[in-house]
Amino acid sequence: MAGAILVRFAFLATVLSGGLYLYSRRKEDAHYLQFARHSFQLSVLLVLSFCTYLLYLILTHQFQYTYVWNYSATTLPTPLLVSTFYAGQEGSFSLWTLYTAILGIFLLSYTARRNYEKEVMMVWCLIQAALLSMLLIKNPFAMIWDTFPGELVHTGPLPPGSANTVWLDQAKSVWAQFPAEGKGLNPLLQNYWMVIHPQILFSGFTAMAVPYAFALAGLIKRDYSGWIRTAKPWIVYGAAMLGTGIILGGYWAYETLGWGGYWGWDPVENSSLIPWLFSIAAIHTFMSQNQSGTYVRTNLTLAMACFLMVLYSTFLTRSGVLGETSVHSFVDPGMWAYWLLLGYIILFAGLGGWMLIMRWKEIPLVKVKHSVYSREFALFLGAFTICFAAVFITIGTSSPIITGIWKGRAAAVDTAYYVKTTVPLGIIVAILAGFGQLFWWRSSKSADLMKALAYPLISTALFTVGIVIAGVRDIDMIIFSAASAFALFVNLQVGYRVFKGNPRFAGGAIAHIGVALLFLGFVSSSKYDDKQTVSLEQGKPVPVLNGYTLTYLGSRTLSEERFGFEVRLERADRSWSVTPTMHFSSFDNTTLRHPDILNMYTQDFYLTPLSVESPGDGEGTRVHVLKGETQTIGDLSVRFLGFDFDEDQRGKMVTGEGFTIEAAVQVSDKNGKSDRLTLAMENKDGQVTFTTASPSFSGARFTLTKIQPNPEDPAKSAIDLAVEIPGQNTMKGETLIAEASIKPYINLVWLGTVTLIVGFIVTIVRRVRESGLGAAA
Amino acid sequence: MNVKIIIAVVVIIAALVFGAVSFVETNVEYTDFRDAENAARKVQVKGTWVQDRETRFDADNSTFTFYMADDFGKTVQVVYDGAKPNNFEIADAIVVKGKFHDGSFFAEDILTKCPSKYEGGPEAVQKTL
Repeated sequence: MAGAILVRFAFLATVLSGGLYLYSRRKEDAHYLQFARHSFQLSVLLVLSFCTYLLYLILTHQFQYTYVWNYSATTLPTPLLVSTFYAGQEGSFSLWTLYTAILGIFLLSYTARRNYEKEVMMVWCLIQAALLSMLLIKNPFAMIWDTFPGELVHTGPLPPGSANTVWLDQAKSVWAQFPAEGKGLNPLLQNYWMVIHPQILFSGFTAMAVPYAFALAGLIKRDYSGWIRTAKPWIVYGAAMLGTGIILGGYWAYETLGWGGYWGWDPVENSSLIPWLFSIAAIHTFMSQNQSGTYVRTNLTLAMACFLMVLYSTFLTRSGVLGETSVHSFVDPGMWAYWLLLGYIILFAGLGGWMLIMRWKEIPLVKVKHSVYSREFALFLGAFTICFAAVFITIGTSSPIITGIWKGRAAAVDTAYYVKTTVPLGIIVAILAGFGQLFWWRSSKSADLMKALAYPLISTALFTVGIVIAGVRDIDMIIFSAASAFALFVNLQVGYRVFKGNPRFAGGAIAHIGVALLFLGFVSSSKYDDKQTVSLEQGKPVPVLNGYTLTYLGSRTLSEERFGFEVRLERADRSWSVTPTMHFSSFDNTTLRHPDILNMYTQDFYLTPLSVESPGDGEGTRVHVLKGETQTIGDLSVRFLGFDFDEDQRGKMVTGEGFTIEAAVQVSDKNGKSDRLTLAMENKDGQVTFTTASPSFSGARFTLTKIQPNPEDPAKSAIDLAVEIPGQNTMKGETLIAEASIKPYINLVWLGTVTLIVGFIVTIVRRVRESGLGAAA
Repeated sequence: MNVKIIIAVVVIIAALVFGAVSFVETNVEYTDFRDAENAARKVQVKGTWVQDRETRFDADNSTFTFYMADDFGKTVQVVYDGAKPNNFEIADAIVVKGKFHDGSFFAEDILTKCPSKYEGGPEAVQKTL
């Protein structure tokens, strides 16, 4: 109860604060401004309280709360227990609200000193209120007996000595029981990534709302250029956070989940990439406006798009609209949440669009004066290209909605769609990331350009020849690699020069070096990875993928449900040991396959276990024979004639006595010798035994291992046999089926990411200084 | 008209057409085996595993083979390059993505749809009482 009340009060305080900010702006009243501030601070306090309370309920295992019961258990270690806070929708909206509130405090003091408080905080309150309204509908503090009244609410006297019961209405003797244990956290999420990844991702989502608030504030204030300077560090911060969140998710998928790669173009992944791309585009056009005052309307639109795409993505992944078209299972949150999520998009897009249209005419249109060979133009083209990538990805991710409306049947696009549409755009981005850094503002002299281009062009040419010799033959990949290498060399050169002058200005060059490395890493690790499904019989070395030899040594039990498979990996004279694991989860009856990765400088060797085939009860070659069918094993052939299961035996089976089912087979060899064998399955006191027989002319032993009678259609009956032929070692040991792959230069992806984020940080530091205290006053 | 604007419009239209063509080309349509047999492109078919037909993993080629009946009852052999997918036996529906080749359906991807995804249903609550 207390939690739900805190949520309601937080909502009221937020609405009140927004209203007071609006009122104080109208009246220009400092008194109301103080009220608005205190009201916002109160709302933050209330958000903090209900989040703390929810955390407390989780840590103390209060399973009378549906949310706590649904996602946690007493067996979870503390860090994971904390992470169950945001394992479900109610909790992740709580986390989002919490970050919005905390960021709001910083935003308040930041904007107060830059004369932007009223307008920005007004919008911020609206965003916070919207998030809180979701918690009013999807209440994280719902009591479990309200969720399952049929199962948990009882009338009558309280059974004696029963724990975990509570009176709901003692006068009417209505009581409820509640679980002693929680359902637990999905094992898929039970690792340290769950502790860190969602937190960073939600910080990123939260930060994406800041440019929206500033753009709207700028429109309200009719300050079409000042807002850019003030908002800039925030958008870079948002891009850095969201970018970090995205790549951590990718690393999680690669390292633990065994999806084989770091990126699968899944709706969940795409939905964080789309707003990120818009923020990157906006960062670039912001720079142009800073320099020459152009692209005012573009910037307003892009800044709003970042947040609107966060909302749209949230709608896609949380409304259940994608249904069954993805590997991820999307929980249907109910009709209310669906319309609320849709309502957010309409509200915020409507508000932003309406303000933009209202002010459109009076926004100063600065004539584009720069030449094609100017940095502004390169920035614009770059941003434009990135937006196109974002739009393509949005369309692809929305495919189930589009095809649902268009054809009446939801269908997703193949991942090939994303590769096809983004690679050409990636090439353009890489080329611009190179040239753009060499162009001057307004226009560039061709002599300067030529001089600056000399080293990068020579290096790129050498690099390209190098990769072609190394075996890269796909023309699109050669172009993509060459363009990326060009961007890399230019930015190394530019970065070095800038760094010598003033390291604080090197953020851009560093970030672009990161992007170039990332692109090269994408090409090498995704396009030129080598993959092979291998069957590893225990103790038998198997040669795989260029020069490696794998030997499956055996399995060991790591815990009740987890098994490790020790595999020796050899190449030339070196030998390593990898232990991929499988987790047979009783939680939801799934098998989790965790890869083991051998990290080397130039490549990763990646081994994912797929399944284990045991030799089973019978030994030897196993065959499956349909009635009337003939199967060949070595020199012998076997034909399944049919079952012998008379009325007498049938009766015994029905009464639960021991019974026998016989299967008749005809075994023949190549010389025309033939013999009829009768193999039996005996069931005595629940113990099932199978008999073995040999034909008169051969020492081969036939053992029945499985019977599959088909009463409706006897012709479809079948049996499984194990056949051992003496002198012929057909016995197979335990076999591990695994997927082995080599990811060349995947370290470029990680190195590129880290470099990119360092670039972001350097830029944030610089932009915060430039945003200047009171500069917009 | 300004040359720059014309170029810009042409570029945008070209990009949109390219995007639309890619979208249509790569859309993996839901269909049945009868249509899939004649389709040259990748499709997805929903159906159920035919338990009494041969189901095996071929360790030498690392392929998993089984028979699947689509919603209209047409049964086809499915060949999948990989091991038996998760939850294969307990799935109440199977979705295969791939193409026909020589009378068999070669699946690139298999999704298994399970009866209960362990949502917080009433059975779950009774288990934890």
